[in-house]
Amino acid sequence: MLFNKRTERIFFWVFFPLALLMPLFLAENTFFVSKLTSIMIFALFVMSLDYLVGRCGLITLGHAMFYGLGGYLFWMIAPEYEAVNFWVYTFYICMIAAAVALIIGFLVLRTSGIYMIMITLAFAQMAFYFFSDSIEFGGTDGLFIYVKPETSIFGLSFFDLDNPTHFYYLCLLSLFNTLIFFRILIRSRFGRVVDAIHENPGRTTALGYNIFVFRLMSYVIASALGAYAGYLFTLQYGFVNPSMLAWTTSGSALVMSILGGMGSIYGAILGTFVYEGLHYVLEHLTEHWMLFMGALIIAMVMVFKNGIAGSMEKLLEKRT
Amino acid sequence: MNTQVSLDLKVMLETQGLCKYWGGLKALDDISLQFFDKQLHGIVGPNGAGKSTLLNLLCGHYKPTRGSILHKEEAIEAIKPYAFARRGIGRSFQKTNIYPGATCLENCCVAVQRRMGGSFNILRSRYTQKVLDEIASEALEKVGLGARRDVVASQISYGEQRQLEIAMVLATSPEVLLLDEPMAGMGHEESQLIIELLKTLRREYCIVLVEHDMDAVFELSDQLTVMVDGQHLTTGSVDQVRDDPRVKEAYLGQGDEVF
Repeated sequence: MLFNKRTERIFFWVFFPLALLMPLFLAENTFFVSKLTSIMIFALFVMSLDYLVGRCGLITLGHAMFYGLGGYLFWMIAPEYEAVNFWVYTFYICMIAAAVALIIGFLVLRTSGIYMIMITLAFAQMAFYFFSDSIEFGGTDGLFIYVKPETSIFGLSFFDLDNPTHFYYLCLLSLFNTLIFFRILIRSRFGRVVDAIHENPGRTTALGYNIFVFRLMSYVIASALGAYAGYLFTLQYGFVNPSMLAWTTSGSALVMSILGGMGSIYGAILGTFVYEGLHYVLEHLTEHWMLFMGALIIAMVMVFKNGIAGSMEKLLEKRT
Repeated sequence: MNTQVSLDLKVMLETQGLCKYWGGLKALDDISLQFFDKQLHGIVGPNGAGKSTLLNLLCGHYKPTRGSILHKEEAIEAIKPYAFARRGIGRSFQKTNIYPGATCLENCCVAVQRRMGGSFNILRSRYTQKVLDEIASEALEKVGLGARRDVVASQISYGEQRQLEIAMVLATSPEVLLLDEPMAGMGHEESQLIIELLKTLRREYCIVLVEHDMDAVFELSDQLTVMVDGQHLTTGSVDQVRDDPRVKEAYLGQGDEVF
């Protein structure tokens, strides 16, 4: 079975049908459709981080580097006034990001714990200042994407990226695929070794595994998906700017992952929706929303010991 | 060396002038030993004699300061730690070292999968390879944990965790077993279980056993090495070692254990 927990199955059968029907209720309200789309894109990013932090035990504060890279890469490799194929460029961007992650991971993964946090942060800050200081990349203002890609496969086009509802469904599909992909990955034999390394790296080495290779592979996979999320973000808003690469982006993603339940993967969706939902509500209630947001996050992290997913599991798994 | 071994025994593992210094401290100084196939080689000595250091060198966890380790006549001291296990040198740890959150079976499956391959397969389910489960179950049966296969490892008793530790090593199908105090912290009955287990294993593998329980070591060893302060004192059959005046002195000098 792909989902070995009841809670996960319940979440799956509640969230996706709801998300599928949502645009029907919000047909006139494109603002909400766009808002939900951007939350789903970020949830995809948080999910890739959640895999790294929660499943592999590799705590990084530089994951936003790949988020931003996804956007900048599209600007760099796509022609400016010509619609390219979305799927082809998804492939290109993921592959280039994977290659970058292979090199950076090779250096970063020689360290662990607090040192790894520092080094990933250093790399991300380097990327941040590189893009925000260079005129070619638009400096702090970033760059505009004038033409959105078209999405035809063999001449059949399913999504029109300029249509918010279509784009919403594309992002929902991406989120769905990513969740399924990570579940398959975790259930696989590769996932078995990843779990083993997370729980007891020393023992896993003693059993004959080269743990560095498994960590590197995980890092590359998560980074490529992080870049894909950044690419979607860029397509949604039609611009890319250095704030995508800022460490605060990594930081909030980490908070969302912890809030949702680290390592649960589907918790990333919960965490992102709760965080962004609160953000949205508080922002409209008061100017000092950050103060209340902070207090609420602290309270929630303390109440939900293993995140929202962990608390839900505690509630739902007992009765089985 | 005053070792008397019949010629048909095959040397599995050998150390030549093995040294490990921590700064000025000679944790292990000039150790040359031979470990034979299908024999149990006991290593005893007072605390701080360098027994665990020797095991950590033999399994690749530490790199020697000087000297070499030969496995089947090939020098292996420079290879990576994980490569030791791949050559069939398995070890158990003094401090229980398992995957506490996984079931006993899963613990052993991780060990078996290393050899069976497919560890880079990101698509195929880990639960579909029956052969793997069977070999893992076999290893559990061997140490007497057959009934516990689906219990989470943190839920079984301390003694059972020690057994699981050995099952995991066996599951890697090693040729050499390096056992670091497998009976540490066990009650008499539990120890007896391990002793019985080692009696069945010692004709199948090359076993290096570091153990504080003297009765057990004397009962099990084909060969016995005594170490003191990182130095090799003597190696021989159990009777030879027992009668060696230097050994008595070393232990009496320390004032802890007496034969």
